[in-house]
Amino acid sequence: MKLAGLKSVDGAHEESIWAAAWAPAADHRPTAVLLTGALDETVRAWLPDDLAALGSPARGHALGVVSLAAHPAGALAAAVSLDSFIRVFDVDTGASVATLEAPPSEVWGVQFHPMGNALAAAGGGSGSVKLWDTERWQPITSLTVPRPEGARPDRTGSGKFVLSVAWSPDGKLLACGSMDGTIAIYDAVRMKFLHHLEGHHMPVRSMVFSPVDPHVLFTACDDCHIHIYDAKEKSLIGAMSGHASWVLSIDVSPDGLAVATGSSDRTVRLWDINMRTSVQTMSNHSDQVWAVAFRPPGGAGIRAGRLASASDDKSISLYDYS
Amino acid sequence: MTSVYIPVQGTEEEVRVALDQLPHDASDILDILKAEQAPLHLWLIIAREYFKQGKIEQFRQILEEGSGPEIDEYYADVKYERIAILNALGAFHTFLGKVDRAPQKESHFKDATQYYNRASRIDETEPSTWIGKGQLCVAKGELQMASDSFKIVLDEDGNNFPALLGQASVYFLMGEGEQQHKKSLEHYRNSLDLYKRALRVYSNCPAAVRLGIAFCRYKLGQVEKARQAFQRVLELDPQNVDALVALAIMDLQTNEAGGIRSGMEKMKKAFEIYPYYTLALNHLANHYFFTGQHFVVEQLTETALSSSNHVLLKSHAYYNLARSYHSKGDIETAGRYYMASVNEISKPQDFVLPYIGLGQIQLKFGDLKSSLGSFEKVLEVHPENCESLKAIGHIHAKSGETEKAIETFKKVTRIDPKDHQAFVELGELLVESDWAAAMEYLKTARNLLKKAGEAVPVELLNGIGLLHFEKGEFEMAEQSFKEALGDGLWVSVMDGKVGSSMVNWSVQNKDQSFFHQLEEEGVPLELHSIKVTTLFNYARLLEELHDSVRASLFYRFIIFKYPDYIDAYLRLAAIAKQRNNVQLSIELIGDALKIDEKNPNALSMLGSLELQSDETWLTAKEHFRSAKEATKGDTYSLLQLGNWNYFAANRPEKKAPKIEATHREKAMELYQSQVLKHHRSNMFAANGIGILYAEKAKWDVAKELFTQVHEAASGSIFVHMPDVWINLAHTYFAQGHFQQAVKMYQNCLRKFFHNTDATILLYLARTHYEAERWQDCRKTLLRAIHLAPSNYLLRFNVGVSMQKFSASTLQKAKQTVDEVRATVTELQNAIRVFSLLSVASTYHSHGFDERKIETHVEYCKHLLNAAKVHRDAAEQAEQQNKQKMEVARQIALAEEARRRAEEQRKFQLERRREEDELKQVKQQEEHFERVKEQWKTSSHTPGKRKDRSKTEDEEVGNEKRRRKGIRRRKDQKTKMQYGEEEEDEYKDEPEADDDYADLARYNGADNSEKAPDHLLAAAGLDDSDAEDDMGHPQSAIERKRRAWSESEDDEPVKKPAAPPSPGADGLSE
Repeated sequence: MKLAGLKSVDGAHEESIWAAAWAPAADHRPTAVLLTGALDETVRAWLPDDLAALGSPARGHALGVVSLAAHPAGALAAAVSLDSFIRVFDVDTGASVATLEAPPSEVWGVQFHPMGNALAAAGGGSGSVKLWDTERWQPITSLTVPRPEGARPDRTGSGKFVLSVAWSPDGKLLACGSMDGTIAIYDAVRMKFLHHLEGHHMPVRSMVFSPVDPHVLFTACDDCHIHIYDAKEKSLIGAMSGHASWVLSIDVSPDGLAVATGSSDRTVRLWDINMRTSVQTMSNHSDQVWAVAFRPPGGAGIRAGRLASASDDKSISLYDYS
Repeated sequence: MTSVYIPVQGTEEEVRVALDQLPHDASDILDILKAEQAPLHLWLIIAREYFKQGKIEQFRQILEEGSGPEIDEYYADVKYERIAILNALGAFHTFLGKVDRAPQKESHFKDATQYYNRASRIDETEPSTWIGKGQLCVAKGELQMASDSFKIVLDEDGNNFPALLGQASVYFLMGEGEQQHKKSLEHYRNSLDLYKRALRVYSNCPAAVRLGIAFCRYKLGQVEKARQAFQRVLELDPQNVDALVALAIMDLQTNEAGGIRSGMEKMKKAFEIYPYYTLALNHLANHYFFTGQHFVVEQLTETALSSSNHVLLKSHAYYNLARSYHSKGDIETAGRYYMASVNEISKPQDFVLPYIGLGQIQLKFGDLKSSLGSFEKVLEVHPENCESLKAIGHIHAKSGETEKAIETFKKVTRIDPKDHQAFVELGELLVESDWAAAMEYLKTARNLLKKAGEAVPVELLNGIGLLHFEKGEFEMAEQSFKEALGDGLWVSVMDGKVGSSMVNWSVQNKDQSFFHQLEEEGVPLELHSIKVTTLFNYARLLEELHDSVRASLFYRFIIFKYPDYIDAYLRLAAIAKQRNNVQLSIELIGDALKIDEKNPNALSMLGSLELQSDETWLTAKEHFRSAKEATKGDTYSLLQLGNWNYFAANRPEKKAPKIEATHREKAMELYQSQVLKHHRSNMFAANGIGILYAEKAKWDVAKELFTQVHEAASGSIFVHMPDVWINLAHTYFAQGHFQQAVKMYQNCLRKFFHNTDATILLYLARTHYEAERWQDCRKTLLRAIHLAPSNYLLRFNVGVSMQKFSASTLQKAKQTVDEVRATVTELQNAIRVFSLLSVASTYHSHGFDERKIETHVEYCKHLLNAAKVHRDAAEQAEQQNKQKMEVARQIALAEEARRRAEEQRKFQLERRREEDELKQVKQQEEHFERVKEQWKTSSHTPGKRKDRSKTEDEEVGNEKRRRKGIRRRKDQKTKMQYGEEEEDEYKDEPEADDDYADLARYNGADNSEKAPDHLLAAAGLDDSDAEDDMGHPQSAIERKRRAWSESEDDEPVKKPAAPPSPGADGLSE
């Protein structure tokens, strides 16, 4: 279990890079494509292995891109900007497919349903998760995050502020992370709130479910910790510490054995899930690492594990994971 | 059966008196003696017999009668017997005087003197009288007189046995009394010679004579011969206690097991023969002390004390008693006896051991001064006694005289370079001042122990680990801690062998069931008390390495084993606080306070936690107060109180200016008079004062303070004071030095916050705004939003910045099409941002007036329309421009062609001219060559050289001047260095309460190492969203307001009536 740096592109964007996602290989395209979004209001696409720029930057993501998600089929992706629009576009052509918004609130993290039939977005100050269908891009529902019993009064004076979403790989659970550190779990089939996961008390900016155990959720939090929950059983089953500052992003390896995290301490760390310990620290970035993403399996070069990271230092890096 | 026969006067008959049947009443005999006018020698015999039988009174009666005036008269011509009787009486009184105590002593000696004088009057040459006198003098301690008396006899008869013995004993005593070693040896030698002579004269003498020889030899260091002599004495007199004890002591001094055993046997034998022999008693006591039979020791020493008047022996006896109590732990009694022992002797040279014991006990009772005195007495005798030196070093260290302590311990290491204890002490003493030396000493100690094959104590390894820790050498620190801890639960935790999932969940709860579970599984859960501190430090190290999961587990483990270990609770509370789990943090502090309700660290921490909450900030003060009382007003708690007052002054709900002023004054008083007065270099107090000055807009004073603190804080790796960076930046900002302010904010963000602090980004944005760098402002705000998504103020400010950018672009005299296009986009974004806020305000209470937002939206829309017009105009203009430029280009092209042709022509001309010139030059050169040949000796050259040297001189002069300049600059530099040195001093004295240092050093009883900063942060300057104008210099706000109103005035269109001060709040609040 280790990472080896393959390539870095400095100045991949004109400004801080805040989001990255892999669009999986598709029928019409043999390889996955790395998408990055930045404060410079553009989304760019990169070929794997050599990180060659694919096409020109897609502009118009006003005020900066904060979140990116790719449709499992590989053709579409969604980018969220600070102007609170979700722009769905064609990965290959860059053509706009749909522009979504969730009035009255802004939007933060987005994720496609593992089957690709829905898009979930964390609705920020509205304290809810919004869902759209991916056929006609119509809203399906809005899941409100209830306040936990005996909840502490929020310092912002508002209700829940929702930051991140994650689908379980079987599509049965939906997790929703918030500013105050609580994580709401929904039955994604019946669209029903199940319970809160507790343990964090600071913003949870990134979450991912294990690909091998659909109940296990990994969370990245500003409290410098990574928690491992059994989302179904509502229990904290592990905690890992080592980052010196906020953990901004987390992704799990396709084999389900490791997680990678990016932190504002400028490092990327690789963690052994079974040992619950940090096995490697990459220090190639010179500023906050806002995104880490393992390349999804499928397409050419399927065997080789790849991890991409994107940072405030305007660079992106690609690592071999083995 | 011996009898004396008293001749009956006038007859041939004799009265037989059986000596063993002497009548009880001496008068009967006396009557006979008197009646029969018995020869005087018979009187003497009978008296002696009485004496032998212990009938002292009868003895005296007969002799006194026998020395009466009648006898003198009657036996006037019987000289010798009369003298003998007088001498016997003299000797008797001498003996009584020797035994008895004063004042009778004197009268006995007086009587003795009288008798001897009477004897002398009868015949002044009688040797036995002189001998008696000599012995009297010995008894009185007048050795020289004694010696003279004996000499008189010996001059007459060199072989006079008693005189020889007397003189020998006088020399022996002189040897004892002599201070100078050499002289005393001389005396012993003389004594020995005399004893030998005596022995030759009278070889059948009593064994005791040989004793004298033996003692002399012993004193002269002839141990073997002494031993032989003692043995000879014992052969002659097996009951001789002196010889027995002397031999025993010699045996004991061999210091070998066999020797000691036989020595002890002899001692016991001597004790059986004569149970009141003090020396033997002392030795026996000494022996039983080492075998631990304290009861016997006490018995023996008490007997010894009662049976001797000899000061040294008494001192020994007291010492034995003291030692016995000391080792039993009854140090009070021990101290008294040590004191008694010391009081017996006049100078430490005689017997130094009790001073050590006394010093130890005085040290234990905290009487450092007396203890120091005692140990110094020891040093008078043994100047290189390491134990005493170490004790003295310890006392110096305790009384704060570090320099002296270091000096002392260094001396120990010079005397004994293998004394690891001294190295450890040195290391610990130097920790504060000289890290490298401290490390060196501790490592030396460790190596010494390792070389000696001894186990390195946990404390030492812990100390080495801490030193590495403080230096930031975490790996080395971890190694040391691990070595100190050895095997245990921690190893399996670090290896990941202990079920990691359980490790993790125990972190969250206060639940200890995890350990019970481990216990049930048979995992050994041992934690020796000496390892607790090290484990705690190891946990601290893990925290520093950001592994708070394992750190928490170790803290919990400590609590599991030692539930009273408050610091572990506090660290757990601090971790919980860092993770924003305020509830848990407060609970943990509660647990700590249950153990010790006056623990100042816990109180301080509780206070600072409460300060963060709106409901509890008032009670925080109470806790700070109790902390202050508990610590008797240490710097930290005073600072906290100061901070609280500052904080209170800025609370929004108490806006009465009077209260505000009182709080500020109180804060100032606390910072200045209470903290800075005692700790001149306390950075936190200086920072606080700086803030208060800044609030009064006394920028120069504030800046001076902040700059100094900033420099001091940058110099120390242990001080984390982001506040002062921020404060300094604020000051730069307030004075209009925007660039410096930006730099300072950015450095602070990077250095302390991993660029994650949205509030500082807001300050940064404000600075950009003020500097009219709209794009930087906008980007900074966007970054801030990204970091703090739920902060709507930031969104509002972004809107404002975009609006401002657009307005300023449109006001420019000329705009490019791109600029105008960008403006249009920005305005659209601004409208989007404002309208989103406006919508959000319907369900969110983020504190914006909807109407105000509306105003902004309206204004932006207006701008947008204007911009669109501008854009169209600009696009048109651009089109026209393009056409114009095309025409211009054509013209330019034609012009160019014309110019080129002209140039060509000119070039041709030029070339021709050049060719001509070339020809001329050639000719001139040829001419010149010719001239040169003519100048064989050139007189012009020196002149030239002169010229050059002149210029050189000038250059040198210049250089000199420059150097001067440099020197002057150097002077200035040195001046500056002075300044720096002063500041260095400032740095060098880290405040005593710098809890970070404390925590690194001693298990970090810090409640929250960043508490002061945090407090300051909370108290004001880098305040969070809700009341962030608080910390800002007020005039800055005014400035900004002014700036804002200007911008509003600039607006080309009248805007609808708006509530007062729109927008401005956005950036400044």
